[in-house]
Amino acid sequence: MNYDLNEEQVMIQENFQNFCAKEIEPRAQDLDKASKEDAGIMMKENIKKLASIGYLGMLHDEAYGGSNNDLVSHVLASEEVAKACASSFLSAGASAGLFGMPMKLFGTEEQKQKYLPGIIKGDLIGCFGLTEPEAGSDAAAVKTTAVKKGDKWVLNGSKTFITNATICDVAIIFAYNDKDAGPGGGVTCFIVDRDTPGFVVGKPFDKMGFRGSPTAEIFLEDCEVPESNVLGEVGKGFIQAMQTLEYGRIGMATVSLGIASACLSYANAYSKERKTFGKFINRYQEISFKLADMFIMTDAARLLILQAAWAKESGQADSAILASCAKLFTSEHAVKCANMAVQVFGGYGYISEYPVERLYRDAKLGDIGEGTSEIQRVLIAKDVLNNAAS
Amino acid sequence: MEFGLTEEQIMFRDTVYRFAKNEIVDLCEEADLKSEFSFELWKKLGEMGLLGLPFPEELGGSGADVTTCCVAAEALGHAGIDQGHLLALGAHTYLGTDTIYKNGTDEQRKKYIPKLATGEWICCMGLTEPGSGSDAASMSTTAVKKGDKYILNGSKTFITNAPICNVCVVFATVDKKLGNAGISAFIVEKDFPGFSTGEPFHKMGVKASTTSEVFLDNCEVPEENLLGEIGHGFAYTHETLSWDRSALLAPFVGGLKFMLEEAAGYALEREQFGKPIAKFQAIQHKLADIKVTMEAAKMLVYRVAHDKDTEKPLNHMHLSTAKAFVGDWGLQAASEAIQVFGGYGYIHDYPVERMLRDAKLAQIGGGTSEIQRFIISRILGFM
Repeated sequence: MNYDLNEEQVMIQENFQNFCAKEIEPRAQDLDKASKEDAGIMMKENIKKLASIGYLGMLHDEAYGGSNNDLVSHVLASEEVAKACASSFLSAGASAGLFGMPMKLFGTEEQKQKYLPGIIKGDLIGCFGLTEPEAGSDAAAVKTTAVKKGDKWVLNGSKTFITNATICDVAIIFAYNDKDAGPGGGVTCFIVDRDTPGFVVGKPFDKMGFRGSPTAEIFLEDCEVPESNVLGEVGKGFIQAMQTLEYGRIGMATVSLGIASACLSYANAYSKERKTFGKFINRYQEISFKLADMFIMTDAARLLILQAAWAKESGQADSAILASCAKLFTSEHAVKCANMAVQVFGGYGYISEYPVERLYRDAKLGDIGEGTSEIQRVLIAKDVLNNAAS
Repeated sequence: MEFGLTEEQIMFRDTVYRFAKNEIVDLCEEADLKSEFSFELWKKLGEMGLLGLPFPEELGGSGADVTTCCVAAEALGHAGIDQGHLLALGAHTYLGTDTIYKNGTDEQRKKYIPKLATGEWICCMGLTEPGSGSDAASMSTTAVKKGDKYILNGSKTFITNAPICNVCVVFATVDKKLGNAGISAFIVEKDFPGFSTGEPFHKMGVKASTTSEVFLDNCEVPEENLLGEIGHGFAYTHETLSWDRSALLAPFVGGLKFMLEEAAGYALEREQFGKPIAKFQAIQHKLADIKVTMEAAKMLVYRVAHDKDTEKPLNHMHLSTAKAFVGDWGLQAASEAIQVFGGYGYIHDYPVERMLRDAKLAQIGGGTSEIQRFIISRILGFM
């Protein structure tokens, strides 16, 4: 066992801490409050900024402009990004991760050359179209269809809750090409450029939190995609989606960690400024023990995430379950931390001017996105029961 | 970062687990029921070398690092060994004996460690007093030099292993006015004049471990039994903290694994409304939560071990987080495990019943959860 970060990891952590404090965090409140249109512009700028310190290329190969870092390093950097601005983490992650990762894992050389350098530089923004109005955690229930017509595929259907949909240049779309293939089969993944006829993006949703990161529906109306835009193998889309989501789960856990960590840091600072009954409020155990609780929760969460990242990187057999454990624990405890942070701020915590109000709204997504807490528990319990039965 | 065990550690873990399952776990239920320490179990632990793991081979130990000590402790808990005996082991090896080993002279080491490392003698550590728990500096047991002896007066309470001990490391102040700087440590043998122990307490859990008061009534301690230096005792107690938050918490991590497996096994067997209760999501939910708690507890406890193995200065955030998490989240998990068993979980015949009682101790012993939060929040105050 070795809990120490190596020199490079320590450096990455410090660089991101400094960069995000200077470039990303000061814009977070404005981004949250901006109009949908302005938010889209600001987010594109943030993605460019994050690209400038290499964030979007961390998990990508050098051949495409990436730096091929390990997952632990990526978690360390991501925590800082998410702590500064959860929305920016989400949009950057949807582009470089949810779009970029399947491209890296399943793309042809030509496809990678075409898209990855742009994604990594922040010139292109990608998104991931899996979820549908009636297919969330039950991803195999997707209804969007793909029909082969000559050397093209024709896509029809709709996708929802798609992060970056309104600002994307390119999307990955999952669609059924063979409804009779049985569970897990018959789904194929397509790369669809924004300007493809029949690719229509809906109006951005009005969300509780993550208001800086645009989310919308995507409609596919006789959308014709060339054969060369099939990503990976025909019929293997579902497996590809699941492999991608394993990274996504660690990512979603990390954004929750960033939020929890920001809550602790704001609440701790405030508790040392605010006086009641002649004393700083951190002198009262009702307050200081909340801060301690927040520390315990974020500390444990961080270790679970690092363990999951290490397990994935080193190919441990239980890496998927460890990612679920990390995601479940972190997201639920981030909600608790956010609640405590608002409480520490008292009335001010309820006012939108203070960042904890935003963090409280942002935290809730962790319980839902990338597989709800309920689904994580089902997956974890299944694993526990399988082990007990064997 | 690397969170796997070495092959050697995995082999050792499996050996300890099998030994515990085959040789000693059957002794636990009765010991817990009768609130009796099992000397038979203790002897077997000693024969397996599990009572002297961290000490050098020439003193009867096996020179294990802290992580390996935790691996053994976790494996014992995982096998279902009651936390009472594991607490006895922890107090003996990591609190008492190691304090002698770390701070003792060569002579003291040669005299005490070999007997303690094999378990022939049993050690305890006398720090807590009726009026001095978390606030150790307020202790009132005194030590006065008189000729070539120290005369100790006072009393200690909640001392694990006291009723069965051969040796007690007693902390006493040479000058109350000095606060922490007056605290000194003494190796006191049970038949030194003036040393006595009270009746064992009746406890809620960890029942097989014996706990009592220690009385020092003009207790005569030869000067060669001063441990380390006068006034350094508080620092020695501090050093035990990293054991307390690693090798003494690792059994609870193992206990969580045990509870999880027991509860999952029961959920697969027990049928209601025509199907195993494992099919109900409310039950699955509890199993998932216990699993997550176990994973987090494990990561926190082994971090303390890694800090100690790599000789880092005490990190109080790491220590207190591990302790508070294992105490608070661990108790919650134990309660969930009972709930999976329903009525049977409330009956002593099922080992999860005692696991809940045992788990409660982790919130209190060695520094309450509140003190951990106090420490964490005090450090946050400087951050």
